[in-house]
Amino acid sequence: MGSVALKTGYKKKILGIVILMFSGFLIVTIRLGYIMIAQADKYLSLAKDLHQRERQIKAPRGRIYDRNGVMIASNKAVYSISVIYSQTTEKEKVVRILSEQLGLSSSEIKKKVYKNSVREKIKSNVEKKIADRIRKYKLSGVKIDEDYKRVYPFDSLASKVLGFTGGDNQGIVGLEVAYDKYLKGKSGKILTLTDGKGIEIDGAGEERDEPVAGCDLYTSLDVNLQNYVTQACKKVKKEKKAKQVSMILMNPQNGEIYAMSNVPEYNLNQPFKLSKRVKMADGKKQQEYLNKKWRNSCINDTYEPGSVFKIVTAVAGLELGKVKVNDHFNCPGYRMVEDRRIRCHKVGGHGSETFREGVMNSCNPVFMEVGARVGVDGMYETFQKLGLFERTGIDLPGEANSIMHKKKNVKAVELATMSFGQSIQITPLQLLRAVSAAVNGGTLITPHFGVRAVSSDGSKETVFSYPVKKEVIKKETSETVRELLEAVVSEGSGKNCKIEGFSIGGKTATSEKLPRGTGKYISSFLGFSRAKDPVVMGIVLIDEPVGTYYGGTIAAPVMRSVFQMALPYLGISRDYKAGNQEKNSTGQ
Amino acid sequence: MANRIKKKYMTGKIYFDYPMLFLIIFLIAFGILMVFSTSSYKSMEYFKTPYHWVIRQGVAVVIGAVAMGFFCKLDYRVFQNKVVARSCYIISIVLLGTVLILGAAKKGAIRWFQVGGFQFQPSEVAKILMIIYLAYTLSENAHRIVKFKDAMNIIFRCAPIILLIFSQNMSTALILCAIVGVMVLVISPKTKELMIAALAFVGLIVVYLMSTNSYRNERFAIWLHPETHEKGLQTMQALYAIGSGGIFGKGLGQSMQKMGFIPESHNDMIFSIICEELGLFGAVCVILVFMALIWRMLLIAMNAEDLFGSLLVIGCLTHIAVQVFINIAVVTNTIPPTGVPLPFISYGGTSILGAMIEMGIVLSVSRRIHL
Repeated sequence: MGSVALKTGYKKKILGIVILMFSGFLIVTIRLGYIMIAQADKYLSLAKDLHQRERQIKAPRGRIYDRNGVMIASNKAVYSISVIYSQTTEKEKVVRILSEQLGLSSSEIKKKVYKNSVREKIKSNVEKKIADRIRKYKLSGVKIDEDYKRVYPFDSLASKVLGFTGGDNQGIVGLEVAYDKYLKGKSGKILTLTDGKGIEIDGAGEERDEPVAGCDLYTSLDVNLQNYVTQACKKVKKEKKAKQVSMILMNPQNGEIYAMSNVPEYNLNQPFKLSKRVKMADGKKQQEYLNKKWRNSCINDTYEPGSVFKIVTAVAGLELGKVKVNDHFNCPGYRMVEDRRIRCHKVGGHGSETFREGVMNSCNPVFMEVGARVGVDGMYETFQKLGLFERTGIDLPGEANSIMHKKKNVKAVELATMSFGQSIQITPLQLLRAVSAAVNGGTLITPHFGVRAVSSDGSKETVFSYPVKKEVIKKETSETVRELLEAVVSEGSGKNCKIEGFSIGGKTATSEKLPRGTGKYISSFLGFSRAKDPVVMGIVLIDEPVGTYYGGTIAAPVMRSVFQMALPYLGISRDYKAGNQEKNSTGQ
Repeated sequence: MANRIKKKYMTGKIYFDYPMLFLIIFLIAFGILMVFSTSSYKSMEYFKTPYHWVIRQGVAVVIGAVAMGFFCKLDYRVFQNKVVARSCYIISIVLLGTVLILGAAKKGAIRWFQVGGFQFQPSEVAKILMIIYLAYTLSENAHRIVKFKDAMNIIFRCAPIILLIFSQNMSTALILCAIVGVMVLVISPKTKELMIAALAFVGLIVVYLMSTNSYRNERFAIWLHPETHEKGLQTMQALYAIGSGGIFGKGLGQSMQKMGFIPESHNDMIFSIICEELGLFGAVCVILVFMALIWRMLLIAMNAEDLFGSLLVIGCLTHIAVQVFINIAVVTNTIPPTGVPLPFISYGGTSILGAMIEMGIVLSVSRRIHL
């Protein structure tokens, strides 16, 4: 038996086969080396993506302050409660306690607790008090996460200006959107390792990236003025059963807006609340309702400005030297333009009058005459100078632009109607800006709210600057316009805005809404003080008043009521003693 | 080497392949360690104890050790017997047939019997029985296998068993094909013809896989595009594990992928976790240990006392080698995915028991080496 059983030929073959097998091993080893060296980075990062769960830590949103440092938007710590299925051991108890504490039906909670998902959110925006109570029970699998909720301490104050934020604390409308970049901050994150089911692995190190709180925004708004304005609007809205009353109060020298109100306002802490009627309607109707509710008419809507626009025509006439204050006109109650008879609001006509009297009377034929003297080119040039072809550049989203005839389409009739504020559409803010330039010496400002943003630790401050165009019209023209508008209030159609001791300039308007003949009007008044050195300018629009609709009758008193409080509040001293008034204003 | 073995014999010592025994013990111990590492997390999750799977594996290893000792002590020549060989053949057919029928009754292919708490795979048993049967048939007829036709004749005798297994588990059937092929190739002088036939067979299998039903077709699609294929997840997970191991790995027990990302990570995919925890270095070490084991078996096969013993060892060698290759090739996506356990290391009672019995037989052959 000494011989080897396996013949040499067999041996060679089996050796060959084993070598073949070993080469197979070599191939897979090379493949392993390729994966583990050459492709290691690729798979490592893919695996990391797979294993790491990112949990966001929300950054507190920056607060919003008014010009005096009153907080008008801040945050409240709230909690969101969720359950992790695989870690919930006492499901019955969890359902019972959560339904007790959160006031939700136990069947609703049960469904979520027994649902085999990684993480199920039970309720968000839970008050700290309740969250603390739940935390005391030390329920396994119940997670309580801190979150922030935006709160507006004044509820509806300046709602259409401020806007509100959505579920992720992002701005949705208003200043909250416009300054989202500054306010939102940078959310931090916790990176944790999780297993295949997404459950965090205990003891695995976590990487933390701290959140950066958003910058605080300081605005030009003044809570007290905003309150006066809103109250005044509410009052007149109720008295005149108007559809809406809008008002803006602005510094015509630098464009800082003190107040902007559109009554009805809405509660910023419940922006999605629907009226009972709309609740029944479908989703599209509901959204329409909400969009309307949030709409800021001062900047989002255009209207025919009517007689206030005569200020622009006056500027054009004076600036181009086509009219002098004491030029004589005659008003028979209408003016024939081509084959059309365009009427004055005073049926019998104003008779013979100077330009100054024409302004005080708000006489349409006078302005049609001035418009005709200036011509289309002159008018459009003035519009251009007063920024009426462009958006004002206000720091709010969704601003509308003016709707004007194409210059080549403007014939005599259009020119005539335009000169007293018809057949053009602009936003109230565009008008306010144009008139600011007309009375402040010719500086075209950019209306705005944002003044500066300050980082939460106060280390960094961004002061916002806005474009300003100087001397768009001559100083002398501006001076004349101021004087004319002062006369409107002291002796003319705007006398309902007269306040003892203060010099006020202004212009009334009554615009018939389109389409004509429906009996719907917008009554408005634009006023400013002091007449010689305007530091505050306001415009009020009463949309669809019932009954008397003349701007001079219903809108001017609103401005007066606001000015009565606002002028002393802003530290504007009386120009003259009450007794001197006669002497001062009858100097014509 | 031959001289050394001769010297030992001359001094009257009985030869026993201790290096091989050491390699086996190393692999099994390493296997238990890795099964514990890979299964403890999921075991905690399902059974509230980290030991569920590792205990079961331990029990299988203890039984396997007893069986290995038994077959090692048992003179392998008791199998060199016509009755035993025929019984092996018939038992294989009966076992496999029973599974097939039971499976049909349950309306679905099944691969195992439930015996007590353990599942028992007849196909694993059939592998050993086939090796014994074939070793007997080939050694008895070695001088008569001259023509190509004679070799094919032997192969065709194995066909029924291979087909039965094929109906349940394609990868096991292919492993068996390799065992049969290698054993016949060693004996038959028609090497070239058989090689060509083997290549043709492989080609045929590939064509079959590509052209038949969607289930197998799908595997090719997964293999080609594991990133985008909807069922390529498991393959990708294995690649994530391997790739994230790097050169020295994350350290024993530090795998992330075993935490529910790779399903059954203690099973067929265990090698990917070895790569993740021990790195390329550890993986190459494991491959080298397997190569050393195969090398020891090769030496035993070459030096066996008789042709029967030699063929037994060649069959076992082929079984281990092919299975290791397929397993690693699958986890590295070198070949289309198929479920084959890594011998000695993957969790699975029948698999480890089968492998240890085979090692017992190989050691038994080694004990009779005369030089």
